[in-house]
Amino acid sequence: MTSAVTIPRHGGTGGRTAVAARARQVVKAYGSGETRVVALDHVDVDIARGQFTAIMGPSGSGKSTLMHCLAGLDTVTSGQIYLDETEITGLNDKKLTQLRRDRIGFIFQAFNLLPTLNALENITLPMDIAGRKPDKQWLARVVDTVGLSDRLRHRPTQLSGGQQQRVAVARALAARPEIIFGDEPTGNLDSRAGAEVLGFLRRSVDELGQTIVMVTHDPVAASYADRVLYLADGRIVDEMYKPTADAVLDRMKDFDARGRTS
Amino acid sequence: MTVLKTSMRNFFAHKGRMALSAIAVLLSVAFVCGTLVFTDTMNTTFDKLFQATSSDVTVSAKGASDSGETTSDNGRPPVMPASVLAEVRGAQGVKSAEGTVFSTSVTVVDDKKDNLSPSSGAPTIVGSWNGNDARTMKITSGTAPKGTDQVMVDADTADKHHLELGDELGVISAVGTHHAKISGIADFQVTNPGAAIFYLDTKTAQQTLVGRTGVYTNVNVTAASGVSDPQLKQNVRAALGAGYKVQTAKETADANQKDVEGFMNVMKYAMLGFAGIAFLVGIFLIINTFSMLVAQRTREIGLMRAIGSSRKQVNRSVLVEATLLGVFGSVLGVGAGVGLAVGLMKLMGKMGMHLSTSDLTVAWSTPVVGLLLGVVVTVLAAYLPARRAGKVSPMAALRDAGAPADAKAGRIRALVGVVLTGAGGYCLYLAAGVDKAKDGSLWLGLGVVLSLIGFVVIGPLLAGGVVRVLGAVILRVFGPVGRMAERNALRNPRRTGATGAALMIGLALVACLSVVGSSMVASATDQLDKTVGTDFIVQSDSGQLITPQAVKAVKDTPGLERVTEYKTYEGDYTTPDGKTLKDTDITAADPSYATDLRTKTVAGNLKDAYLPNSMSVHEKFAKAHGIHLGSKIRIAFKDGATANLTVRAITSSDVVIDAGAKYISIATLATYVPADKMPLDDLVFATAKDGQQDAAYTSLKSALHDYPQYKVRDQTDYKQALKDQIGQLLNMIYGLLALAIIVAILGVVNTLALSVVERTREIGLMRAIGLSRRQLRRMIRMESVVIALFGALLGLGLGMGWGATAQKLLALEGLKVLEIPWPTLITVFLGSALVGLVAALIPAFRAGRMNVLNAIATE
Repeated sequence: MTSAVTIPRHGGTGGRTAVAARARQVVKAYGSGETRVVALDHVDVDIARGQFTAIMGPSGSGKSTLMHCLAGLDTVTSGQIYLDETEITGLNDKKLTQLRRDRIGFIFQAFNLLPTLNALENITLPMDIAGRKPDKQWLARVVDTVGLSDRLRHRPTQLSGGQQQRVAVARALAARPEIIFGDEPTGNLDSRAGAEVLGFLRRSVDELGQTIVMVTHDPVAASYADRVLYLADGRIVDEMYKPTADAVLDRMKDFDARGRTS
Repeated sequence: MTVLKTSMRNFFAHKGRMALSAIAVLLSVAFVCGTLVFTDTMNTTFDKLFQATSSDVTVSAKGASDSGETTSDNGRPPVMPASVLAEVRGAQGVKSAEGTVFSTSVTVVDDKKDNLSPSSGAPTIVGSWNGNDARTMKITSGTAPKGTDQVMVDADTADKHHLELGDELGVISAVGTHHAKISGIADFQVTNPGAAIFYLDTKTAQQTLVGRTGVYTNVNVTAASGVSDPQLKQNVRAALGAGYKVQTAKETADANQKDVEGFMNVMKYAMLGFAGIAFLVGIFLIINTFSMLVAQRTREIGLMRAIGSSRKQVNRSVLVEATLLGVFGSVLGVGAGVGLAVGLMKLMGKMGMHLSTSDLTVAWSTPVVGLLLGVVVTVLAAYLPARRAGKVSPMAALRDAGAPADAKAGRIRALVGVVLTGAGGYCLYLAAGVDKAKDGSLWLGLGVVLSLIGFVVIGPLLAGGVVRVLGAVILRVFGPVGRMAERNALRNPRRTGATGAALMIGLALVACLSVVGSSMVASATDQLDKTVGTDFIVQSDSGQLITPQAVKAVKDTPGLERVTEYKTYEGDYTTPDGKTLKDTDITAADPSYATDLRTKTVAGNLKDAYLPNSMSVHEKFAKAHGIHLGSKIRIAFKDGATANLTVRAITSSDVVIDAGAKYISIATLATYVPADKMPLDDLVFATAKDGQQDAAYTSLKSALHDYPQYKVRDQTDYKQALKDQIGQLLNMIYGLLALAIIVAILGVVNTLALSVVERTREIGLMRAIGLSRRQLRRMIRMESVVIALFGALLGLGLGMGWGATAQKLLALEGLKVLEIPWPTLITVFLGSALVGLVAALIPAFRAGRMNVLNAIATE
């Protein structure tokens, strides 16, 4: 059994609890019998509200699976996942869709935008789908924060990779979700554009009080987070607060070495 | 070799994506092969029938037609004196000879006065039971007819009308009505294509059909052994001298076959025409499929190019795939075609034409034609996408998917499209403006073809505008889902254009024909209202002439003010310009016909045409032959004397009813044609006394109750019958066009299904950020509806243009009124929306079922 249940240090964006999402004894297994592969092995984790959490780990450690399960994109084999006070394990597709639409934001590694819609339309898409009117002031602030004011009418193909990813960040922020999940959001960007996007994510936590969970394998990216969770073989094996890139890197090397000796 | 291998692998890897294209090829090929097999089988059946039923040599009266058809103007078959039989028997090489009498100008009714004639248009034959028929018919119950009160009926007719031995039948001929009881039932030993056949004994047949004994319509001659048919024919002819028609079995069968073939060829080419339209529509589907496959494979093709494949190799690999598709679809299509033919034969069986599957004829050319057509069309359709594949640069391997649009091609396309459409429009304009129908039809044809091609070329450009308008009107209601559907439909205008164009073709034809059809009805109705001054018309729907007994029944009906008889006859005209016109029609009617049908005259008074030795001609005829009021026309009546008639009226050519008729009075005709040669009435008109219309209509109907082959109609019923008739014809054509429309619908399904595959990641993304399944499905349905409505709008617009032009052109032939059948057109438009919804069912379902995570992960 692994655990990363923590007491958060501050309360976040006026949520009812200090924990935005939690996983309890979550198991995710594929296949059965001989070919059974356990991707998540009885994971317990709390995601603190108003914090930037990074999930790290080597390939196949289950970090993406954990994020997908937390975000309601994937189902679990056993255990419970709560978003705020809502248990999302066991919800049907319709409820999950609504949950993703109204309470969760996403930033993927690539292909984040619909090519037929311009930047602004992409940003407001989740609200459009829900039939909600975007909060004009908030929208302006988000757009301003990510620095896209002069590119709103552009189609994705007319934007650079970094700009596209910033639009994706703006889309995730615009609907004011309780939590944003990023799946290697800077994986496809060069270091400068990556730093830009990570900077915006950091600022959205600091200035807008957003809760963010990001999967990454890049120690530099992880260093933008408040807290780093380390996954290996489907288990949370360590965590680190206020990480720096060097510290993260050292810790990673450590795991690698341990993995090789054990 | 590697090219072939990669093509094979690609073909099998993407077999799902090719399935609908294969079905399109299959359907078109099946229709072609089905038509060929069916018509060949029909020909075989008739061939066998005629071979079986013709005796070695047949002698018939001079007036008889080559195929042995015995209808004549006076309702009695042309006959020969019985003495001919003895003369034939005396000829050399004759083994035996038998005189027979038969007629097809008959109607047979049961004891409830219900018509026993086939409704399929096949003939009713009443004849004498003879040795020749005994070869092809076997008496299965009862006995052959003997004496005046016995009749034998064929088993198919007996089955259909539940006739049994002892039932009383009435044989109605020009002679009168003869009653007899069924003495036997005979079954066909060859395939019966639907005729109803009744047998009497020879004497009774002579009495009933001709009105006197001692005459025969045919003498069937059997050759002695060792005497060939042509030899026998010569001998018989030598014995008889001229004045008789003598034919060998082969000549009779050939003449019969020719009659059937004419009809069969019309059917065959009409059906092949519709198959051609389906092929045309299928081309769009195939183009779309390969375009999309090439687009999806851009990176792969770029890689092939990067590692050294030549353009030609890439190009060829796509064409090889197309060939595989063509072969696959066509082979299945040929098989399905045979199945279709069998199905059609079963259907014909239900309608009374019994075709045997043992006669199923698959000529070697049928599969060859099917395969060749299927493969050639498929490869031709794939040519453009293949060329585009060849143009993919090696750089594409490195770029993200999706080739940039070719803007220059767009401009060229716009130019070509506008020029073609403009030229087509101009041709239509010219067609509408001409004053000679002949020139006009050329312009019309050219206009139709050019505007169609123009619309196809310009379609992708129109798609932008039309989809936006449709989007603004319909999709906005559905909010962001509607907007995304609109954007998706607009995303690849070439694809949307081609998909819509496929539907456009079928619907344009539907719209055009419905405009022409309803204009026909409206014009005829309009003219009926303006010119018809009589209440009732009596006619036979199967083309039977009206017997004197039935005419008398009409005349004896109470409440009628007048009855007008109407006959047609023919003769050789000698006109003032010195020309002789052989076998030209003339209409003989009672003088009251001038009141019953107030045909406009351009000179003279129509009533005067009914004076003794007078006639009328129509304007065009008059102009063509230099005829004026007072001109003399000499007419040598067929089977009659020669008359010198004075033209006393020239009627307008600008009419629908009785167009081109030249009138004389029946009295004038009777002066020159002997009484026994006078034609029976084609039509009888009756006018009720004032205020007694309803009562007279009822009495007329009951007066003709004994003659079910004739229909009485008042003006309202007549208009309705006219409308039904045209409606029936249109429905048949719509039915055949359905094939093309089905292929077009498959095209919509195909486009949607392939684009769903193409947009897997996009769909995954939308689902991840909160698009519900229902919204996703609705989005795809909306896209489908928009594409379908785009095609419908273009098709209906184009078809209405064609139809209106055709009406303007046909106005010269009397089609004065343009009527746009809005209810039909609106139904078609709304139907298209429904078609869009149906077409999206499966693609939407599959998109909804997509796993979000897998969709995002798909590379």
